[in-house]
Amino acid sequence: MNRTTPATKIAPPPYKVGVRELSNLLLDYSSTLMGCGVHTSRLARNVARIAESYGYETEMTVFRRHITMSILHREDDSIRRTSVRKIDHGPINFEFISRLSALSWEAYDNPMPFDELQRKYEAIVSKPRLSAWVVLLLVSLANASFCRLFGGDFVAMGIVFVATLAGFFLRQQLTLRRMNQMAVVAICSLIASLIGSIGLRYGLGTTPQTALASSVLFLIPGVPLINSIVDILEGYILAGISRAIHAGILIICIAIGLSVSLLTLGLNSL
Amino acid sequence: MNSAFLLDIVLDGLFAAIAAVGFAVISNPPRRTIPYTALLAAIGHAMRFWMLDIPVSITAASFAGAFSIGLLALLFARRLHCPAEVLSFPALLPMIPGMYAYKTILTTIQFMSDKTPPEEQQFLLTAVFHNGFTTLFVMSALVIGVLLPILMFPKVAYTMTRLLKPIVGK
Repeated sequence: MNRTTPATKIAPPPYKVGVRELSNLLLDYSSTLMGCGVHTSRLARNVARIAESYGYETEMTVFRRHITMSILHREDDSIRRTSVRKIDHGPINFEFISRLSALSWEAYDNPMPFDELQRKYEAIVSKPRLSAWVVLLLVSLANASFCRLFGGDFVAMGIVFVATLAGFFLRQQLTLRRMNQMAVVAICSLIASLIGSIGLRYGLGTTPQTALASSVLFLIPGVPLINSIVDILEGYILAGISRAIHAGILIICIAIGLSVSLLTLGLNSL
Repeated sequence: MNSAFLLDIVLDGLFAAIAAVGFAVISNPPRRTIPYTALLAAIGHAMRFWMLDIPVSITAASFAGAFSIGLLALLFARRLHCPAEVLSFPALLPMIPGMYAYKTILTTIQFMSDKTPPEEQQFLLTAVFHNGFTTLFVMSALVIGVLLPILMFPKVAYTMTRLLKPIVGK
């Protein structure tokens, strides 16, 4: 386990809280963090810090869908509680990860009354995301630049910009309507690559191949892939493998959409 | 190193920065970290571009680029008061080997097609493995490269979001 406490800090905690309230808040906190894409060891450290500041210890098991957390009082181990909480996976949110980690240090360094901690937690998680339109525009520009990095010319960049604009817009809309994530990725990959193949169909520019190849790259689950390797290297091997399999399935969905549009082109033309 | 090549390196870094910003905002990063992510991505990608010209293999060059991103992220994360991975993970995204992944899929489909003559199939099979292994190894090199600084200095890396005493005092 990750013990972040130095041996000297055994002074009784300045604020007291019931095991039930603390356990509920920590489960909310963990479920939110896991849902926005934190790696497992950071979660374990953050939770241990908060529990520590109220005089409790935690041990937890984390899987992709559920968290099991045992929390017990440092002096009196008859005060204990073990609960399981479902994880709602949402879009990745680095702002939450950053601020919730800072909150855990704040609680550890300057213990605060429990309702103040709860208020701060609620304030952080109610913060809205960046505007969807700004994200759409920036993602399209990013994918066009990506095409340039692979050696595409300006025509290819234009095609990729339009393909990403359409594909990512579709992804935002379908995700809002709570469609299955795998289906969303496959459909967006199909639409983006169909638009991306315009250059090949009509012979536009000198690098139509590059345009087609980069048109679907905005769908690659980069952060989950990185997190899976982080987890495996840090010893959370089961958690890491389940993340890797999930990312792998999404990549297969991209390949399915891409294959369909490649097949409509006819392979001889490639 | 002539000036045309220097310009190529700078342009490569510039486009990598735009790509990193775009892919970063999907993950809703804190606003103050976005310029730093762009800077890290530009440095890492330009470094890989330069090393590929030496020439070094793409796996080794990606590792070096990712390692420099990881080190710089540790430096900046302290100042920005955020976890290092919030800076470094989005900066890695422009280096993800998308083109090799695409070619793996394309050559696999061509290999499976009934219309492909047998003498072409063995070349396609080689291409499938070449592209597939490159994708896998570059991906692993990126992550190991960016994690190495964190694993080397765990004490530093794990206290990034802790407010230092002087800040608390004022």
